[in-house]
Amino acid sequence: MSKSKIKIEGQKWGSERVRADRTDELYKDIPEGGTLMTIDGLRVVYVTDDSETVAVDSFSLDVKKGELISIVGPSGCGKTTILRCIAGLLQPTEGTVKIGDKACTSPGSDRGMVFQDFALFPWRTVKQNVKFGMEIAGVPKDEQEERAMRYIKAVGLEKFADSRIHELSGGMKQRVGIARALVMHPAVILMDEPFGALDAQTRNIMQEQLDKIIVHSDRTIIFVTHSVDEALYLSDRVVILTKRPSTIYKVIDVPWPRPRDRANPEFTKLRKQILEYLELQNVMED
Amino acid sequence: MSLNYDEHNKYHRFARMVLITIVSLAVFVCLWWVVSKLANNAAIPEPMETFEALFSLIVNGDAVTGLSLSTYVWSSLNKFLRGFALALVVALPLGLILGNFKLVREFTSPWIEVLRPIAPIAWAPIFILLFGYVQGATFVVFVGIFFPMLTNIIFGVSKIDRVLVDASKTLGASNLQIFTKVLIPSTVPYLMNGIKVGLGIGWMCIVAAELYATPLGGIGFYVANMITYGAFPQAYAGIIVIAVLGLLTTGLAEYISKRVSRRMGMDVRCLRARSR
Repeated sequence: MSKSKIKIEGQKWGSERVRADRTDELYKDIPEGGTLMTIDGLRVVYVTDDSETVAVDSFSLDVKKGELISIVGPSGCGKTTILRCIAGLLQPTEGTVKIGDKACTSPGSDRGMVFQDFALFPWRTVKQNVKFGMEIAGVPKDEQEERAMRYIKAVGLEKFADSRIHELSGGMKQRVGIARALVMHPAVILMDEPFGALDAQTRNIMQEQLDKIIVHSDRTIIFVTHSVDEALYLSDRVVILTKRPSTIYKVIDVPWPRPRDRANPEFTKLRKQILEYLELQNVMED
Repeated sequence: MSLNYDEHNKYHRFARMVLITIVSLAVFVCLWWVVSKLANNAAIPEPMETFEALFSLIVNGDAVTGLSLSTYVWSSLNKFLRGFALALVVALPLGLILGNFKLVREFTSPWIEVLRPIAPIAWAPIFILLFGYVQGATFVVFVGIFFPMLTNIIFGVSKIDRVLVDASKTLGASNLQIFTKVLIPSTVPYLMNGIKVGLGIGWMCIVAAELYATPLGGIGFYVANMITYGAFPQAYAGIIVIAVLGLLTTGLAEYISKRVSRRMGMDVRCLRARSR
């Protein structure tokens, strides 16, 4: 493949071919709030030599375009497993994941991912990390530079564009991770406990920043977290999982405008309610 | 006078190290002197005689053959560098392939495990027969460097951070792109470690090969030659030259590998545990 040629996302979408670095354009005809992703009957069984563990069972969910949907559940349930299935990093035993009409069976740039432990390339600078996906897609050099800098500015790291990863704090690292996912304009962004490795204060700041990014875009995000507070602060819908085998216990709509006030009585009431649901899960198991 | 040693001061630490090294070497020379006196044997010359011979070797060269020290050193170094380059060129792609493809690794592992424990010098007679004196030595060095380099690269590939592979997959990377853009860069610190270990072993191999087969020339030949003439101080002077050159090569390799790892944002401390 020559350098100047831009990689085309494998499948044809109608008569149109869309670049791998702008897969969100594939689904521009789907209106805001329309179903973008369909997860149907997901089941994951881990087989070891002498036992079978059902990690996830009959998990079905329609993800609407432009929403942030978070998945919470008791620790050790299959939150991350579900996300890895959606990303294509793990093959579910049963069930399908579709974006629009396209089945997602292997990883692709249409599902960007932000990892809990950042997963940044230590031998690359901040800017080079953000450019990685565009390099893969064969985006022209000057466009790479322009887009990378735009997103590095968006996450407030323009002073650190040429820094190496080990020179950054945890919060800064995850901002690089977010910029690296956003810059590819994926159809869906998957976030696997992105702020789990950060201290409480940094975590709040990061939540506020992510909130700002959501408000100013029509990004579709699936967000896995173990923090109910975080889920309520950020999401349009909260999916509560049961203990293993994980399945949906309840889906809660969070209709409040952004930015949200964590001290609001409604907020605290709903948080308490969700925590009780989670507590119930633990009791049921015992 | 009070000496306040500060552990956190870089210069204090350096001064301490230098002081300890000097005292240590001085004690070593004293012990050497005592042993030479007690043994009273020509095969263990006194330190002063040896240093005189060393000085004469550096200034006047070899009195027997009339060759200068630099000729000897260059002759050894030349063979050494060829063997090293050959090992690098073969071990790097092979290590990446073996590390990456389980079946190939499992299939070839018996070969490697059979060949690896053989002392490189044991190959010398065969290699000299096959490739002649000069190239034969190159191949002895090659064998010495090849295996530590290969195992370090294979180890490096196995130590690749799976999360980085996942991340590059979600950014659309193909298997080939993962290989070139993730696997190769993340193996570099391990490769450097392999080079470091290989250099030390390679240096031993070249000198051993020269001692074994004197027509190979080089600094090992000088030592062997001096021993045949019974010129032990001169032989010991040659041994000191070998030691210093060995220290320089491994020191240089250590420095480069540290710089590279730091530049690539990878910690060397965790790698050093498995350097041998």
